[in-house]
Amino acid sequence: MSANNMSDLDAQEALAREYNPTLEGPLVGEIRSSLAIAVEYAKADPIYVAKTAALPQKYSSYRPILGDGNCGWRAAGFSYFETLLRLGDAEQLEEEVARMTSLDNLLTNVGGFSSYIFEDMVEETTGLLRDLARLMPTSSSAASDLLQERFNNPEVSNAIVYHFRLLASARIAQQPDLYQAYITDDIGVDGYRKGWLEPVNQEIDHLGMTLLIDVLLKPIGFAVEIVYLDRSEGTQVNSHIVQPEDANGNPANPGGPMIHLLYRPSHYDILYKEAPPLPAIPNPAQYANVQIHRVASLPHQHVIQNTPMAGYPSEIDSLFSIPGFTLLQPSPRDLPGQFQSPIEHAYAASPGPSISPISAEASSANTPSSTGMSSVFSSQPPPPLPKPGVTSSHQQFPQGSALPVQSHLPPSRGPPLKTQPILPSELPSRGSAASTFRPSKYEWEAAADWGSDGPVQFLTSTFKNSHYNTAHYNNPNFQPEEWTPDMDELPSTRKRSSG
Amino acid sequence: MNYDMEDTQNSAPGILPFAQASKLSGSKKIADAQSTTKRLQTELMQLMTSSAPGISAFPSADGNLLSWTATIEGPDETPYSNLSFKLSFAFPTNYPYVAPTVLFKTPIYHPNVDFSGRICLDILKDKWTAAYNIQTVLLSLQSLLGEPNNASPLNGEAAELWDKDPEEFKRKVLGRHQDIEDE
Repeated sequence: MSANNMSDLDAQEALAREYNPTLEGPLVGEIRSSLAIAVEYAKADPIYVAKTAALPQKYSSYRPILGDGNCGWRAAGFSYFETLLRLGDAEQLEEEVARMTSLDNLLTNVGGFSSYIFEDMVEETTGLLRDLARLMPTSSSAASDLLQERFNNPEVSNAIVYHFRLLASARIAQQPDLYQAYITDDIGVDGYRKGWLEPVNQEIDHLGMTLLIDVLLKPIGFAVEIVYLDRSEGTQVNSHIVQPEDANGNPANPGGPMIHLLYRPSHYDILYKEAPPLPAIPNPAQYANVQIHRVASLPHQHVIQNTPMAGYPSEIDSLFSIPGFTLLQPSPRDLPGQFQSPIEHAYAASPGPSISPISAEASSANTPSSTGMSSVFSSQPPPPLPKPGVTSSHQQFPQGSALPVQSHLPPSRGPPLKTQPILPSELPSRGSAASTFRPSKYEWEAAADWGSDGPVQFLTSTFKNSHYNTAHYNNPNFQPEEWTPDMDELPSTRKRSSG
Repeated sequence: MNYDMEDTQNSAPGILPFAQASKLSGSKKIADAQSTTKRLQTELMQLMTSSAPGISAFPSADGNLLSWTATIEGPDETPYSNLSFKLSFAFPTNYPYVAPTVLFKTPIYHPNVDFSGRICLDILKDKWTAAYNIQTVLLSLQSLLGEPNNASPLNGEAAELWDKDPEEFKRKVLGRHQDIEDE
């Protein structure tokens, strides 16, 4: 081989070694419906199709983690904090600060790491625990926002992830006999630590995950279910639960908190069995959607706002006859006292045509009204979300009874998007010519998002949360909302026609 | 009926909490930028107080802590004995989560170093760990001089000569070596 050829090859090899696929998206993504996973695999191998189609029945939503070589570490690490938040015990968070600090001894004495190597990383971990403990009693949604923000800040996120890598590495050094049989290569415990646990972007392997769970999660009684999505036979995903066990091999903490991780070959995401405990940071677009929905579905809003109470048209009275129904942004004085709430005050105080969804959002950010709304936010604990499948609190109304609500929906809003009752068998045939309507992938994903966190999306009144709303997944005529630019025009058009 | 509760639940979540969160993280940013500097200062202190024999490193004269110059002595009983080599270290701002870029400034004839001084060493690439430091890198490079990895050479001729003709190899090493002036 000539020297020239040699160096060409070398150059190519060097390029290959340094090749990094471009990664897009946040380190820790927003929670979305696990239906999206089924869509992703709709055209894949039949085994994947069947397994992913069955997935949403058991795990309603998932949180994508960026595949940067740290996904498994980050998924487990994020879940550690998120589960602590879900338990809602500020004292436990403080205890975790103490435990993490005391694990410094393990890092130094067993792991052999100098303290200057890890002290900044441990500071990020304990700092986040402290901040969460401080925020949680007043606003757990602020706490969960902070968690997501810190985990999406690469410096903080990588420091915490690396802290956990070092803990896992020290853990195997602490009891090498327990683990070394699982080291497949002939590299020994030291080689495994240096070659698999400590390199910065080295993906977690199964032993690494076991070590991380053993050092981080088991001691506080957290169990981890790893759901394997692979090409093994079957129509359901296989799963494996790693949990603290007593001497007899029985679960030491049955019924304790459980973290669910979705494993696809060389990638981890987080799965959730039910609606997430805390609302994620709202997607501004979704927020706008919802506001528009409120306006569009109540065509008489202008009448309500501009008419003294005595002059309500009769059809409005029928609206009021729905218990729990509140009008959207009428000024307080126009309303019977029972319909007043701080939120309505806040909205009413915003100047201008507050029925415009955009301006309602914008004005609340820069007018005094926002403080009114804010105080409500921060003083209230976050609502426990209704679980999918559990009917809302307004069960005194027989399901399916005819109420005038539906007739107030705008007559045409495009073809219906069917998300919630989607059947696994429908997925592969979604693209067939037989179906009358084929939503694009993107629309479908948006609709899937609605399905996943539907209960939190209806922003104001009790009505929005009831199954009498056709946008509610329990409604027999369920029909998710979809934003179209025309919606903005609707209120004014109606005003003219009714005025 | 608790309407306050209802409306709170259903209102847009997170507008204010998000603002709070941003405020909290505002102060964090400064700390992040400092952690790389702090780490490098610590490493400097350690190298000054307890440096291993045959290696030394110091930040470049311009006061930029992200750029260092290091020296390693060739190990005894290798073709590099009695020679010293200067190297440059460039630290990324997210050090230690990303490896420093290390180059030989002194011309060197070695299977794993190319003629521009670039080094092929796994711990400077995909096997980099945040638990490594300047000293471990220098010690690894020092041992690389005596034990090249001929399976993945950057200099194919050197890899071949190392095995076949040690004397010719040594001649090439001495021929290429050239002390460079301090900058």
